[in-house]
Amino acid sequence: MFDMLMLGLNDALRLDTFIWIGGGLLLGMLVGALPGFTTSMGMSVLVPISFLVGDPLIGIPFLIGVYKGGIYGGSVPAILISMPGTGASIATVLDGYALTKKGQSRKALEMSLFSSGLSDFFSDIFTLVMIIPVATVVLGFGPPEIAAVMFLSLVIIAVTSAGPAVKGLIMLGLGIWVGFVGADPFSAMARYTFGTTELYDGFHLIPILIGLFALPEIFNAVKEGDTRGKRISTFVGERLRLQELKNSFRTIFRSTMIGTGIGIVPGLGQPIAAMMGYIAAKNASKYPEKFGEGELDGVAAAESANNAVNGPTMIPLLTLGIPGDSVTALLLGAFMMQGLRPGPTLLESSGNVVFAILIAMIFANVLFVIIGYLTIPLFARVVTIKKSLLIPVTIMLAFAGTYLARSNPFDIITLISFGLIGIAARMAKFDVAPMVMGFILGRELEYAFGQTLALAGDDWIHFAFRERLGMTAILLATPLVGTILGFRMNRFRRRSLDSDRK
Amino acid sequence: MSFLAKHLLTNKLATLVMQLWVIFFGQLIYQESLAQYPEKPITLITPFAAGGSSDLIARVFTAYLNNYLAQPMLIRLVPGQAGQKGTLEAIRAAPDGYTLVFIDNYRDQLHQYTFPNDFYDTNEDLVTVARINYGQIAIIVRETGPYQSWDEFLVAARAGTGQLKMAHSGLWAALFVPAWRIMQEFDLRFRMIPYRGGGPAKAALMAGDVDFSMAFPATVAQDVEAGKVRILATAGPERTIRGVPSFAEIGLAPGTGYIHRIVMAPAGIADDRLAVLRGALQQLQMDKDYQAAMVRLGENLEYLTGPAYELVRRQQSVEYAELVSTLTSRP
Repeated sequence: MFDMLMLGLNDALRLDTFIWIGGGLLLGMLVGALPGFTTSMGMSVLVPISFLVGDPLIGIPFLIGVYKGGIYGGSVPAILISMPGTGASIATVLDGYALTKKGQSRKALEMSLFSSGLSDFFSDIFTLVMIIPVATVVLGFGPPEIAAVMFLSLVIIAVTSAGPAVKGLIMLGLGIWVGFVGADPFSAMARYTFGTTELYDGFHLIPILIGLFALPEIFNAVKEGDTRGKRISTFVGERLRLQELKNSFRTIFRSTMIGTGIGIVPGLGQPIAAMMGYIAAKNASKYPEKFGEGELDGVAAAESANNAVNGPTMIPLLTLGIPGDSVTALLLGAFMMQGLRPGPTLLESSGNVVFAILIAMIFANVLFVIIGYLTIPLFARVVTIKKSLLIPVTIMLAFAGTYLARSNPFDIITLISFGLIGIAARMAKFDVAPMVMGFILGRELEYAFGQTLALAGDDWIHFAFRERLGMTAILLATPLVGTILGFRMNRFRRRSLDSDRK
Repeated sequence: MSFLAKHLLTNKLATLVMQLWVIFFGQLIYQESLAQYPEKPITLITPFAAGGSSDLIARVFTAYLNNYLAQPMLIRLVPGQAGQKGTLEAIRAAPDGYTLVFIDNYRDQLHQYTFPNDFYDTNEDLVTVARINYGQIAIIVRETGPYQSWDEFLVAARAGTGQLKMAHSGLWAALFVPAWRIMQEFDLRFRMIPYRGGGPAKAALMAGDVDFSMAFPATVAQDVEAGKVRILATAGPERTIRGVPSFAEIGLAPGTGYIHRIVMAPAGIADDRLAVLRGALQQLQMDKDYQAAMVRLGENLEYLTGPAYELVRRQQSVEYAELVSTLTSRP
């Protein structure tokens, strides 16, 4: 094993590998930064390039570069124009856009970049070191455990949402209901589709995200009235100070742990990691009331958690040949096209190549930070654009991004409808984040719960207390965790109200 | 006088403009008639989500096919409604050879009985350009599990009918249909547990959550080699793995467990354009790089011409209608 690691290190240190990783990172950042384009869409288009170059130490690191760049790129429109392109960036909007409104977009982008780079770096090292021991644990997480974790996540999101807990619960419930629209995943029977074929697959995530987060901001900007010559800021904003980054180290470390843990389990994914990282940071903070108002720690928490997922998703892929999502499924294909077949014997047969790729992933993070840093001044200039120009461009991006994602005109109707819901929610002071998380997690929870029911059969007691102790432990802990967090949040809310009165 | 001159001049100008227009459009029509199809990129609609095996195969063959067509073939993913959305979009496109669709036999022939729609009939609305290849499914169990052979498995399934759990990759998809065939042929009942794709289904088997599953042999070759998975039978009339019975040997219909991957065009496409497409795909089969790429992907090169596959299609239609009618009428 150590010999293979050293051989891998030797193979990884190639200039052409890093040039291709750099290209992949840049492309990924651009794809991620364009609303409507997802990382998997970008990778899917670029897969042929990876196999036509004919060298696994170029083709695969190139795709990994696209993957890493894409996840970070998603934070750029989330921070600058409140437009999360994917579920991974939902938690980033909450403080990232608030910082932009204060004229600190550059600071927010730099925090996003450095926290993403650091967490990616440490989670990749974890992947390299722990690949063999963790592989044996991965299979222990089946649908029952995933369903339990999702249920716990939903409870945590509901009790820690901004504003009164009951409002959070209402929005969460609404999101879960919206997620039920479409064909039942087990019988394929249509639900709440009103006889239309367009709703058979349910609502698409991208118009919901853009509608709920970006359209209310556009509406607000238009409502403000006279926008002639008005800018968010006349300069690109201050840079992130080293002390500010140091202040967030604890948060970055915590979120890296959360993201890495979630990344190991196939099927949980970045949206949960980012939201859990954000909530954990809010709870651990001395000033939780500042979260959502433009807190740098909030950006660090969300971005480090979602990027920390990237590395560990490679563990089930490489050791068991099991892709957890569409991105790792594309990587599986890319490996196979290079003559490498992920699975239990891959490390024995081509260990040096696998370790070389993992080592290249670690070094790629250095390139990632450098390239990202060079692009930030360009992105950050958005705040210096006149609002009279920025608003129409944002509207165009919202509609074009929505349409481009699936080329489906119905998504435009979804965008406008959820935009109106977002505006109404803002007026009534309801937080839309629980609704989106309810939409994302509700569907997944329903699926995992249905699988669990089918697996359990009639003998529930035996299943819960003999076969699936992990699931039962998480479910038993859920009310406890929910109550503790609920009390803490209520205390913070009261403190916040008291300080408002003063 | 000046009025007359002006009038004549205007008339002359008008005549000249008319003549120029006639020449211009005549030239355009003439050029169009001489133009070699394809003059612009061809769109290949794939009604699958990014990252699946069909998406990957489409990426591979289109990357090499571009050497044999005058214009590139570009993939457009239109997932949704169990493949019906993308299929419908291809059917509604003009039959000019610039919009094609890449689907499988389940979406082409089976889903019309399982997810009925009033919008199209694939038999009437699509014509086969060519079959790219096919995949043969295998029944898999854990190596350390209780079943060493198909016979042992069958005995256990009969003894505890309704107890054995099977991991599949989605309703009426590649792993689901052969399992229903087995239930039909041997009068069995399985507990069908859905997973999102073949990878998670295999993970469920390896974790011991289910008793058996199905997979394409290439996707479990490593697991078999590592002593984690055992193959009990493979689809087809003959054995493809030494010591492992074929589906025909265990008593299943010869067509069971095949997934055909097909390029189709909207019906009404001009014969000369269809011939260009079929010719390019035929030439692709000789391409060594393409062959090597497909082998690395664990895929075979069982290409079939359009007319030959049309015959297979007609047969499938009858078989699937019978299968769905039998299965859905069972208590």
